[in-house]
Amino acid sequence: MALGVLPWLLLSAALFSTGLFGLLTRKHAIGLLISVELMANAVNLNLVAFGYFRGDLMGQVLALFGIALTVAEVVVGLALVIQLHRHNRSIDVDSARELAG
Amino acid sequence: MMLPLPALVLLAPLVAFAVVALYPSLRRRGPAAGLAVVTGSSVSLLAGVLMLVGQQGLDRPVAHQVWRWMPSAGQDLAQVGWLVDSTSAPMVVVVGLVALCVQIYSFGYLHDEPGPALGRYYAWHALFVVAMQTLVMAPNLMQAFIGWELVGLCSYLLIGYWWKEAYVGKAAVKAFWVNKVADGGLLLGLIVLGGATGSFEWDPTKLDPALLTAVTLLLFVGVMGKSAQVPLHVWLPDAMAGPTPVSALLHAATMVAAGVFLVVRAWPLFEGAETTLTIMCWFGGVTAFAAACFALVEDDVKKMLAFSTCSQLGYMVAALGSGALVAGYFHLTTHAMFKALLFLGAGSLIHAVGTNAMSEMGGLRKQMPGTFVLFTIGCLALAGIPPLAGFFSKDLVLEGLLHGGQFGPLALCLVGVVLTAVYSGRAVVKIFFGELRSPDAHPHESPPSMMGPMLLLGAATIIVGFLGAQFSGLVNGTPDGAFHVAPVGVAGLVLALVGLAIGKWLADGGSVAQLEGLGEYIFSSPLDRFYETVWRRVLLVGAAWLAWVDRYVVDGLMNLVGWGSMVAAERARKLQTGLVTDYVAAVVVGVLVVALYTASGI
Repeated sequence: MALGVLPWLLLSAALFSTGLFGLLTRKHAIGLLISVELMANAVNLNLVAFGYFRGDLMGQVLALFGIALTVAEVVVGLALVIQLHRHNRSIDVDSARELAG
Repeated sequence: MMLPLPALVLLAPLVAFAVVALYPSLRRRGPAAGLAVVTGSSVSLLAGVLMLVGQQGLDRPVAHQVWRWMPSAGQDLAQVGWLVDSTSAPMVVVVGLVALCVQIYSFGYLHDEPGPALGRYYAWHALFVVAMQTLVMAPNLMQAFIGWELVGLCSYLLIGYWWKEAYVGKAAVKAFWVNKVADGGLLLGLIVLGGATGSFEWDPTKLDPALLTAVTLLLFVGVMGKSAQVPLHVWLPDAMAGPTPVSALLHAATMVAAGVFLVVRAWPLFEGAETTLTIMCWFGGVTAFAAACFALVEDDVKKMLAFSTCSQLGYMVAALGSGALVAGYFHLTTHAMFKALLFLGAGSLIHAVGTNAMSEMGGLRKQMPGTFVLFTIGCLALAGIPPLAGFFSKDLVLEGLLHGGQFGPLALCLVGVVLTAVYSGRAVVKIFFGELRSPDAHPHESPPSMMGPMLLLGAATIIVGFLGAQFSGLVNGTPDGAFHVAPVGVAGLVLALVGLAIGKWLADGGSVAQLEGLGEYIFSSPLDRFYETVWRRVLLVGAAWLAWVDRYVVDGLMNLVGWGSMVAAERARKLQTGLVTDYVAAVVVGVLVVALYTASGI
């Protein structure tokens, strides 16, 4: 049974779309972070899937880099969330509108 | 290594200026600042004298050094440096000597001035020496122009020394404006010359005759302004609003002579321009005559001397116009000595009597014997009586005019000789003989700080006349024979003696009334009123019109652009909602657009 790369791509697209949907609809800062995380992992999944089916290690290596980067991003994101909470007593992102024109 | 002498000439006063200008605590102690400036001027004069001695018997410049200035595209805008040769060396010494005398004299003359004001005065004096020597030692026309403008600035500043009086400020502005008008001509000449030959050398490559005439005429416009030739002489009498030592240094001996010196310096240019020379000769002759007439009806001793300066500058210009280079230059030198002496003498009188009006002086020979003797020497030299300096140089001028075949200007100058003697004689008799007419004046002889410089200049007035042969040898490069008096010189002497007699008669007799009526007419001068009309009706109106264009058209355009940006920005800021979701949506849309664009393969 050789389904090939397609199911993985579909799964990845579903993950990415879920993340994007969350990013566009959530107002909860943690929810946004989780959405971004979903999108990033969709990308990682793509990388690993292509790497596996091409038969080289490039995809895996890139995925490892991606994971490391995502970790760093989450650290920064959480720090921002904490600061947001200190500042506004809320982590609803709509509460931070200082940049409105 | 020792500094080269010309550098010393420039740097000594420059350092004095910098020190006085930059250290307020020194400047506010007036006389201390004065001492610094006098030291600088002394060093400068010493270096100048050494150079003049070094130039004796030398057929090349004693000092010549140039540096490139503002090089661009392989070509220099000009060169700066110094050129001390047989032409500039005497002038360096004249400027240094008179400047030093005047600066020492100022200690006595301005001893009542507050410290800060005196410090400022001396700072400008030092700057003037730097500027004047920059002009005199200039290796090309461009540097001369820089010095020319700088002395104009110093003139403005020093005339306006007592700026709290409204008329003083106006006199300073008037001097500045009239000079600027003339400087416009000089600048144009400079541009035309530079454009045609690509350089500003004193001795340019061959020029087209028409172009040469144009250039020299334009330069002469500048000369007319600086050297107060009719009809641009109007600023010089007003410039007497400045302190008397300033009048002696700038407006009698050195700065106003800069115009004449420029012609001497640029002689290789002027030599070939016949038309210009003839025009110069006539302007000089008319000035020599007209200004002497003005001096005749003037009661203010300083203004009389100012008109006399105009008149004598007219002699120099006329001499140069007739081709008598040495005569003009020599008259410049002797005039610098005796006119500075006369102005310092006038300052001594004003200091003692407290008024400028000769009609209020009188009988001062008893109270002020020193001033009497020196002032009389100056007046006799001015009138051209031997053995004083003025006689020899004026003789040379008249002879030059005769040889040049300029009979019109010669006639004007000969009448001028009579008039000069008349007003000189009248001044001496009016000031020093008879009874003191000002009731509340208590005249006294001036202090040594004032008498010393006057003595020095008096001695120079007696000696310099005998140096004519050496002077001519130096400037011409070939030693001239012994001095001889030409017939026309004898005629001049006779005319001068007649003039002196008339002057005495005028001062004694009552027939001055008619002259003063004439004076009324001259001093509500049509020329002055004409200039005023031009200034008010043309210049100010034109300026107002230009200001309107600037404010509403040029600025309006700029303001329109600014206003448009403001409105656009006001609209555009609405895009910034501050909601994270909106930004994310914008990013997603942007990515989609880029992705579709890339995928479509356009």
